[in-house]
Amino acid sequence: MSLRDNRKRMLKTFFHYLRAVNAENIKEWKIELTYKPDFIRQFIEPFVYLFPYFLYGFALLGGRYSEHLRSITGISDMVAYTFIGYLFIGFLNTACWAMGFSLRKEQWFGTLETIFVAPVPRWVYVAGMALHSTCHQGLIMLIQAVVIATFFAIVLQMSGIFMALSIVLLMLLGLYGLGIIVAGLTIALKQWWVVSEALSTLIVVVTPIAYPLAVLPLVLRKMSMFLPTTYGIIGVRHFLLGEELVIGLPTIILRLFLILIVWLTFGMIVFLVMDRYGRKKGSLSIY
Amino acid sequence: MVGSGEIIVNDIRKIFKKGKPDEVRAVDGIGFTINKGELFGLLGPNGAGKTTLIKCISTLLIPDSGSVTVGGYDIYREPLEVRRHIGVLTGGERSLYWKLTPVENLRYFAALYGVSRKVTKERITYLLELMGLVDKSNVRVEKLSSGMKQKLSLARVLIHDPPVLLVDEPTLGLDPYFARFIRDFVKNELNKKLKKTILLTTHYMDEADELCERIAFMNRGKIEALDTPDRLKQSMPQKQVLEIKCQGTIEKDMFETIDGAAGINISHGEGFVFLRWNTDNPELILGNIIELVREKAKIYSVRVTTPTLEDVFVHLTGASLKDA
Ligand SMILES: Nc1ncnc2c1ncn2[C@@H]1O[C@H](COP(=O)(O)OP(=O)(O)OP(=O)(O)O)[C@@H](O)[C@H]1O
Ligand SMILES: [Mg+2]
Repeated sequence: MSLRDNRKRMLKTFFHYLRAVNAENIKEWKIELTYKPDFIRQFIEPFVYLFPYFLYGFALLGGRYSEHLRSITGISDMVAYTFIGYLFIGFLNTACWAMGFSLRKEQWFGTLETIFVAPVPRWVYVAGMALHSTCHQGLIMLIQAVVIATFFAIVLQMSGIFMALSIVLLMLLGLYGLGIIVAGLTIALKQWWVVSEALSTLIVVVTPIAYPLAVLPLVLRKMSMFLPTTYGIIGVRHFLLGEELVIGLPTIILRLFLILIVWLTFGMIVFLVMDRYGRKKGSLSIY
Repeated sequence: MVGSGEIIVNDIRKIFKKGKPDEVRAVDGIGFTINKGELFGLLGPNGAGKTTLIKCISTLLIPDSGSVTVGGYDIYREPLEVRRHIGVLTGGERSLYWKLTPVENLRYFAALYGVSRKVTKERITYLLELMGLVDKSNVRVEKLSSGMKQKLSLARVLIHDPPVLLVDEPTLGLDPYFARFIRDFVKNELNKKLKKTILLTTHYMDEADELCERIAFMNRGKIEALDTPDRLKQSMPQKQVLEIKCQGTIEKDMFETIDGAAGINISHGEGFVFLRWNTDNPELILGNIIELVREKAKIYSVRVTTPTLEDVFVHLTGASLKDA
């Protein structure tokens, strides 16, 4: 076979997989939209969850602005500070729930084995789910951002938006690694969704969402250095609100790259091992 | 390269370990070759290992040992090619997305199989027409009857026009009308007209008898016999069967005292008990048997027929196809 033919075939395969990923994404939207009340709930709930943070802040600070917050972060507006962190941690759902449960859900539908006999690698389904969930989560965040920013008259530094989104992208890729790990574990080892739950809780606690890194106890702060969300949130807050960086920007970017490479690689290894294990054990068809 | 065998299964084994001592030898050293264009049946009772075998061939399970090729592709080394080559019908109506319409389901699977957009459109129109589902095209699958869902599942299997089909219990739980449709469709349309190579599993002996060119008897993970339906039936040492249809309580050992009536097969259906004896001389045992049965049950009919596949199965394996 000539090199040219080979390249042609690879390209064809690539577009086949790409189309399959998108088909998965579209299917997911369609199924989701058949559960209308639940769909609407997902757009309202984030607002509800956000308010206790604000109220708590108001109660402690006696108002929206704080000199102390300014002295340690460079930002005095507690609402803006909290809301940005909260907004972007929403992508944790993509990893821990949407991707992690993508295959498990097919198992519940009864469709898992049917799609697994299709001629695409199994990661295609997880990737499709990631695409859907990223779009879905992105939409929720956009609506949230517009509503909250308007309501509280928060001014974001629009000049930083490109850099902020770039940092978010790196964070997302790292989170995808986590999602693949969870997807792999849950498919072969049924009860392991507990891991997903624990991981997501841990990440929420350790990531400086509504507080600066400095307030975390040393152990947790060390732990947070291995999570993409830490750098993602710090970076985004820096570029959109002007929070002073406690870690240099090159370090942030370098570490995000390292994290995403390690997590994605580890994720794929876990996924492949678990898939093989599942096909040996025959655990695919057991609920 | 491989010869004319489209599916070649060579001594495969799949053992499920539950606890340490607890193991299920689901597929226990099986080999056979299915030729191009053949309709091959696997007949066996619940738990025989039929589905496990289909899963091994379709790369859903990794066998413990042995080899399988489909269309010349090896299941270990070229699983994607194998999957491209086959259409797999398992799990019945649950294998579809109930929240989507037939068209949406088919479009999704077409994308997974890399069918081009243009061909997808043609195939969907063709398949929905073939299955008589055109007027249900845009109705959610959850609103379709079981039979229609099964028809749609078949359409799904055919979306990429695969040369090989693996069909696992296609008429399980369907009402007679749809079961008839599926059987005729598999035999006439898929096998005769479209020349598909088909591996079909079933625990209905009529289905296997009617559809399959060759049948493998499967029991406890092993193949006990493999031949054409006619030759399997001719292999019976006794050429006739005495059958009594009755209602009542009949025990196997009731007949031990009668010479030549020990080999009895008792089955149940439609509220009746069917007693069958393989024999060369029904007249000889008839009188004694009727006397015994009459004491315990009400007799509805007595007849002499020729052996069915079920009789052969019982004769060879000692197991019944029904409620094993
Ligand atoms: N994933 C699994 N883990 C453990 N045991 C299994 C698994 N799958 C099947 N078995 C066991 O293997 C044996 C064969 O099952 P299989 O489903 O292949 O039979 P079958 O011939 O398809 O029967 P049925 O008519 O019930 O569909 C059964 O005893 C079953 O309990
Ligand atoms: Mg089965």
